Amino acid sequence: MNTGIRTGIVSVVAGVSLTAFLVLMLPQKVDAIPAFSRQYGTSCTTCHTDFPKLNDFGKAFKDAGFKFPKDDETFLKIQPTMLGAPAQKELWPKTVWPGTIPGLPPIGLRMNNFFQVVGKNRGNFDALTPANTISPFIPRTDFETGFFSIFTAGNFGSEIAFWVDDDISVAGDNGNGGLGDGYLKFVNLGRLIKLPKDSLSLRVGQFELDLPFTQARSYDISPYDIYQEANIGAMNSMFAQQNVNNGFAFSNAAKGVELSGGHNYGGYQYSIAFVDQNTSGVDQFANSSPFVPSATGGSNGGVGFASDSNFKDIYGRLAYRFNLEHDKASRNDVQAAGSMGPRDHTSLKLGSYYFYGRSVQRVLGGGATPVIEAREPFYRVGGDFNFNYRTLNIYGLYMYARDHNLLPVDSTGALIPLPLPGTTPLPVGFVKSAPAKFNGGFIQADYLALPWLMAIMRWDRVQSSADQINGIAGLTASSFSAAFDSTRDRFTPGVQFLIHANIKASFEYQYRPRQYVTIVTNAGGLPVPINPFRTNAATVALEFVY
Amino acid sequence: MKRNALLLTALWAVASLTLHASEIKGKVSGASGVSVVWVDAIPGKTFPPPEKHVVIDQKGLMFQPHIVAIQQGTTVDFLNSDTVAHNVFWISISGNKKLGHNLGTWPKGEKKAFKFDNPGVAPLLCNVHPEMSAYVVISPTPYFAESDTSGNYKISDVPDGSYTVSAWHEGMKQQSKPAAVKGVVSVDFALTK
Repeated sequence: MNTGIRTGIVSVVAGVSLTAFLVLMLPQKVDAIPAFSRQYGTSCTTCHTDFPKLNDFGKAFKDAGFKFPKDDETFLKIQPTMLGAPAQKELWPKTVWPGTIPGLPPIGLRMNNFFQVVGKNRGNFDALTPANTISPFIPRTDFETGFFSIFTAGNFGSEIAFWVDDDISVAGDNGNGGLGDGYLKFVNLGRLIKLPKDSLSLRVGQFELDLPFTQARSYDISPYDIYQEANIGAMNSMFAQQNVNNGFAFSNAAKGVELSGGHNYGGYQYSIAFVDQNTSGVDQFANSSPFVPSATGGSNGGVGFASDSNFKDIYGRLAYRFNLEHDKASRNDVQAAGSMGPRDHTSLKLGSYYFYGRSVQRVLGGGATPVIEAREPFYRVGGDFNFNYRTLNIYGLYMYARDHNLLPVDSTGALIPLPLPGTTPLPVGFVKSAPAKFNGGFIQADYLALPWLMAIMRWDRVQSSADQINGIAGLTASSFSAAFDSTRDRFTPGVQFLIHANIKASFEYQYRPRQYVTIVTNAGGLPVPINPFRTNAATVALEFVY
Repeated sequence: MKRNALLLTALWAVASLTLHASEIKGKVSGASGVSVVWVDAIPGKTFPPPEKHVVIDQKGLMFQPHIVAIQQGTTVDFLNSDTVAHNVFWISISGNKKLGHNLGTWPKGEKKAFKFDNPGVAPLLCNVHPEMSAYVVISPTPYFAESDTSGNYKISDVPDGSYTVSAWHEGMKQQSKPAAVKGVVSVDFALTK
C-alpha cells in the first residue's frame, strides 16, 4: 500500500477514534426532569429535543405548570395522591381546599463529568504570581468531576406547580452544592378574576429571571458571557475612575415574586418580577444580625437576610412569537402538524427585557455621618430574537448596561482615588460622574442534523472598557481578568450526541478572547499591555439523568 | 318436488361445509403475552377482504390495542383520542422497507384509514413519542387468531387441507410449521429470540 495512503488511513482512524473517545468522555450541565418521564410513561424527547432544550410541547408543558396542556389526568400513568376529595371544595372555607401530591416522589437526578484540554498558553499566567510563591498548576488535560444534582418538580393540583433543584455535590465536594431554583408557581391565577386563560400567573421563591434564553437550564457547556458580566467600574488611577462595584449578573438566581402570562410556544408572553436587591454579593447565610432575627430566627440568627437595600429590583420582559405555519389550525396548536408528524413550529420570536435596580455602596464617611451611602441606579436593557425553521434554530440577544456613577469626594470637594483606602481622607459625599457601561450579547445557531445529533455554533461578545482598564492595573475585580481588548469575542463551536434519550455527550471548543501578562509604559506614560495570547480550551462532557 | 330437491341440496352443502370445517389449536410458548397465529397463503385461493374496519386508538400516549391481527386487505382506522399530536408510521412490513409508510399527523377525535394489502407484520411507531409502539399482524388468509396471555390459541372454521401455520410474538423469531388439518389439529410453537 502506498505510504501516503496508509498514513492517511491511519490519520482518519486515529481521528475517528479520538472523536469517539471524546464523545464518550464528555459531559455538561443540564436540567431534564426524568420524574416527568416516569409519571407519564413517556420519553425525554416528548418535551426535549436535545435535553434540556425544550421543544414546543415541552414549553407548553412548562407553561401549564408542569402538566400536559389539556386532559393531564388522562396521560398520568401514576395517579396522584388525593389530599381531599374534590367534593370537599363545596365545604370551603370550612375545610382545607383539596389538592394532590404526585403519586410517586417526582425526583430526578443528574450527574456529569468533564474532560478538558487547555491551550499551552495557560502557563503564561504564572508570570503574575508574586515572588516566592508557587503558582497553581493548571494541567493540559484533565478529567473533572462535575455536578451531582437533584431535581423535583410537578403539580399540586389547583394549578399550583413547584420546582426545586439543588446541586448536592459539585466537583466531588459534598459541601459545594447550592440551591438553584426553588419556587411555587400559581398558574393561571387570572381565572379567579375572570382574565383570559393563562394571562396571569404568580411565581414565588427563588428562581432564574425570565431570561430570553435560560442559563440555569442551558444545554451548552460554557455559559453565555454577557449573562456573567457584572459591572465593575474602572478603578485604575491612570484612567477616569468609576465608583461602580455592582456584582449583579443575569446568571444570578433571584429571590422574590414574578407575575407572568402568555405562552412560550406562541403568541405573547410577559413577566414582571420584583426581587431582592443584592449587588454587594453578600450571601444570605452570611448576612445575619445578632440583634434582629431573620425568618426562622429567635432572638437572633435565622436564615439570614438576602437584600442589601430596601429597594426591590424590577425585571420585566415582553415577547411575541409568530408561528409561521400556513395552516391556521396548525399555527395555533402547540405543535405544528407536519406531513410526517408533529414538529416544532417554524417561528420567529421577538422580545425585549429591562432590569432596573439600585446598587448601594456603604463606606465610612469623614463628615458628621459615620457611614455614607452611594445609591447608584442601574439598568440592563436589551432585545432578543429566536428563529426556528424545522431543525435549524438561530437565536441571539443584545444587552446594554448602564450604572449611575457617584465618585467619592473629601471635605474639600476633591475626588478620592479609588479604590477607597478606608482611611484618611474619608469621603464626605459623592459627585455625579460619567456612567459605567458595557454591552454585548450572543448569537447561537443549533442544527439538529439527526434527532440525536446537534451541531452548535455560538458567538459571544462583551464590550467593557472597564474590564480592560482594571486588568491593566493588575486588579482582578473584573468579569474577565486581563482582557487585552475592550471588546471580547468568543467563538464556540460544539456538537452534542444523545447516546440515549437521557445520556448525552457534548463537545465544545472555545476560541477565547485575548489576554496578557506583560505591561509596558508608552511614551505618554500610560500602561500598555503587549504580547497577547489566548487560552483556548476544548471540553467534553458526559451527562446522564435518571 | 323440485323445491324439496333444492332444499335437500342446500342442507347437504351446509352439512358438508360444517363437517369439513376443522380447527387448529395449540400453545405458543417461549414468551408471555399475546401471540398471533395464522394460516399462511394457500396457493390458488384468494379471500375477499372484510368490509368492516378495525380501529387502533392512540390514547394516553399508547396505541390501543398493542397488537392487532387482521386479514390481508383489511382497512385499519387510526384514531387519535389524545389532546396531544400524534403520528403513526411503520418503516417496513416484515422487513420489507418498500412497504413502509408514514400517515402524518391529525388532531384529537379524527382518524386516518389505511388498507393493509400486504401480509406480514407492521410495527407501528409514533415519531413524537418514541416509547409508543404497536403491531399490526396481517394474515394472508381469514384463518388467524390472537392467543390469550398464556399463549393458548384456537383458529376455527379452517377447511380441511395441508397448510403452513405461522406464529409471531413481539420480540421473538417468527416460526412456521406444516399442518395437515382435518378435524381438530394441535400445533404448538416454542418461539425463541
